[in-house]
Amino acid sequence: MNNSEITTRLVEGVAVLYPGPYLNQLRGERIEERCHELLAAGVTRIVINLGETELINSIGISILLGVIEAVNNAEGKLMLSNLSSSNRELFEMLGLMSHAEIEETEESALARLGPFATAEA
Amino acid sequence: MEISDTGRILSRLTNSEFIGREAEMTRIRDFATARGRGTRVAMLLGPTRAGKSELLRKSFDHFFNESADVLPSFYALKPGRLDDQSFARDFLSIFLAQFIAFRRSDPSLFALAFEPIAVVARSATADDCVFVKEIADAFVQAAGAGDSTAMLRCALSAPSRAAERTGLVPLVLFDDVHLLAGASARGANPPFTELNRVHRESNELRYAFFDALKNGTADIVSPRYLLAGFERPMAELLPADLELFAALEIIRFEQVGREHFERFIHAGAAERGVELSDSVGELMVHQLKCEFFYTRAVLDSAASAGVALRTFVDFERVYSAEVASGRIGNYLRASIRDAAPDRRSQRAALEALALLADAEEGAPIDSVIERMSLEPGGAEDLLERLHSRELLNYGHRLVNASSDAMLADYVRAAYRSEILSLPKPVSGPPLLVEKLKRAHRLMMDRYHGSFAAQLLDVLSRFDSQRAPACLFDEAAYEKRYRGMSRAQVSRSLDQETERVTLPQIVEVEDAGGGEYEGINWRLFLAAGFEAGIYNESNEALWVAALINSNEPVDVESLGRIDDRIAAALRGRHSKAAQPVCWYIGKEGFSAAATERIESAKALRSTHAQLDAMSDYLFKLSAPDAQPASEFELVIPIEDEAELIAARTIELIARAADFEGEAINQIKTAVIEACINAAEHGQSPDRKIHQRFAISEDRIIITVSNKGRIFANGNIGAVAESQATGVRGRGLNIIRALMDEVHFQRTDDGTSLVMTKFLKRPEQQ
Repeated sequence: MNNSEITTRLVEGVAVLYPGPYLNQLRGERIEERCHELLAAGVTRIVINLGETELINSIGISILLGVIEAVNNAEGKLMLSNLSSSNRELFEMLGLMSHAEIEETEESALARLGPFATAEA
Repeated sequence: MEISDTGRILSRLTNSEFIGREAEMTRIRDFATARGRGTRVAMLLGPTRAGKSELLRKSFDHFFNESADVLPSFYALKPGRLDDQSFARDFLSIFLAQFIAFRRSDPSLFALAFEPIAVVARSATADDCVFVKEIADAFVQAAGAGDSTAMLRCALSAPSRAAERTGLVPLVLFDDVHLLAGASARGANPPFTELNRVHRESNELRYAFFDALKNGTADIVSPRYLLAGFERPMAELLPADLELFAALEIIRFEQVGREHFERFIHAGAAERGVELSDSVGELMVHQLKCEFFYTRAVLDSAASAGVALRTFVDFERVYSAEVASGRIGNYLRASIRDAAPDRRSQRAALEALALLADAEEGAPIDSVIERMSLEPGGAEDLLERLHSRELLNYGHRLVNASSDAMLADYVRAAYRSEILSLPKPVSGPPLLVEKLKRAHRLMMDRYHGSFAAQLLDVLSRFDSQRAPACLFDEAAYEKRYRGMSRAQVSRSLDQETERVTLPQIVEVEDAGGGEYEGINWRLFLAAGFEAGIYNESNEALWVAALINSNEPVDVESLGRIDDRIAAALRGRHSKAAQPVCWYIGKEGFSAAATERIESAKALRSTHAQLDAMSDYLFKLSAPDAQPASEFELVIPIEDEAELIAARTIELIARAADFEGEAINQIKTAVIEACINAAEHGQSPDRKIHQRFAISEDRIIITVSNKGRIFANGNIGAVAESQATGVRGRGLNIIRALMDEVHFQRTDDGTSLVMTKFLKRPEQQ
């Protein structure tokens, strides 16, 4: 569980991040760093796939909110995908749904953020 | 320590009459027999007529009969012997007579005290005669020369000399020591000013024994002095000497408990051949307020008149006659006369006491003084003396009646006959009608008193529990539990999900009672803290009003009670933001009263709810409240250790039949609780302690840390404040995911207790 590396992949200019099983402060900060790097490199469309993320704590959520804000400020777009029902409930409870866009799957998120969608956005 | 009735020497009561004092007797024995180091002066403090003098006499008898290392001596100061020469002569005669009697194991030698001192000395044993004669000769010589100082020094040093010569430990039991303060306070006749100076010089009495203590050496046996008398003037005797107070032992002496007193009444009646019914016995317990002297007087009076005490009328007739003109009346008359020696001041005293007897909450000093119509200064002095004798309470602003109900009765009767000059009734004592009316109310008060005791117990048990909210909401309780038995209610309350967190109550104060048109009430102020956090912002104050009426409480009566509550709260410097008012009415509340209570956001309950609350709190503290199985886990405060806790609770919850979604919720809550504990705990052991308790229908998770409290203990306030910070968010998550959440204070930290109910399919 000390493996705090965040797996990232780029799909046609869209970055997809995989926070791992537990989104806590450590992994939240890694995501934050990674997103800043991506934004600096001109990648402004980001998907965070929470499919493997079994647990999220309040600090992780706070950092996630900061990341969403940073991406929005850079006039980019961030989407969350593959939320478990428990995580969705948590996000709803904390009013996160109004801050972040949620997609069922990584594919549908990519479809919305991909090159064809960019023109729309 | 017990003295057989045949071994009674100075004591006046039989063992069956002197009851419930084992603890005090043991204290005195320990005080007398503690060798070497330790206190050598003790004050026996307690209410008047509680039996302090008898305790001294019983102690004397015990040590006299024991005939061991403690040499007992009993001396009661006497009003007529407060000049230095009389005191010195009287004290020395009695001390020597008791000493000789002790050495010869012959109490009949006490009579020697009536002989001239030179004669007394001749009766000493061969071992003692030399030093006894030396003392006697020195005294006679000083008396011949008219040297009061030398006489006092000689008398007061006699116990030390006896100790020095015999190796015994003198235990000098001084009674009525308050007279000493009175004598010097009056100032007109200064015998004890001299004595006080002698005390300092001769290292005797109040200065000497404290000095001896300060320089106490283990190899010299010093006398022990036990002082008793009226508490208030006794306290004035002591100078504000820190060392002296540090060395002084205080032996508190309270009224005996009701149980002992009831036994005493029945034993006393049986001994005197007075027939006594149970109901009269109960009435006596309540009316005579555990006062032995008054009780003996009534029983003696009934016995001598050959009257049976079968009914209230029988008892009140004997009592009223006693108060008007019997032993009780004469004793109280003498007590007043003691403070008010001349007729004019007696009248003034009676005026003041009569005014107070009917003023429930005391009277302003000025109005009492005006009523007394004495010359300037005279009234204040008289009030001071009445206060010293505990006949009233003279404060800085108000004068209050003493708690002695018999005194109030005497004052009413005396006022009628002596001030108003009303004719005496042709038959029956003047108080009788009044007392009979009161007797009925007293017994009603007794019934009410049991609820007051229950409320007191309930408030004292408040300890941050999560109690069902319906216990404070009459309507909700009625709706759910009407017609159910107490046991059924007790079982069903466990299922209540809407709960309130009680404060932890540390102090309950009786704020008095009142009555108005058939309704009477008693107020209690309960002070403590919310969430076990002892700071100003968490101070809690509850005002509980226990209301007794035959009808639902109407809004007008409620208004009067509220006025009293406001008065009770005035002058309290509590930082508690808003006191919580809790009205408990026997028959509930009228619609208008309910509306008023609800608009004030106060709580209301009936006696049935008070019962249910009592049962609920008792059940929580009972051992059978233990869960079926318990697991404990201690994790270090380090990165991601909370995941271990989450994994553990997952296994436990799964085994307890919780479903996947609920398990995830529990895991998330546990993670948040651990983060909270790690973030805010400053735990010295860097650990988080967790307990998982499983019972049939729930899992209770307790996450504790040592050291400073974590988070804001007031979880309700956090949830309501829509906290946006990380910590607030964590608590909101816990609150949202679990069914019950509350903080609990522990001795060395704080615990967060979270409950999740197992929702079985049929309940969903």
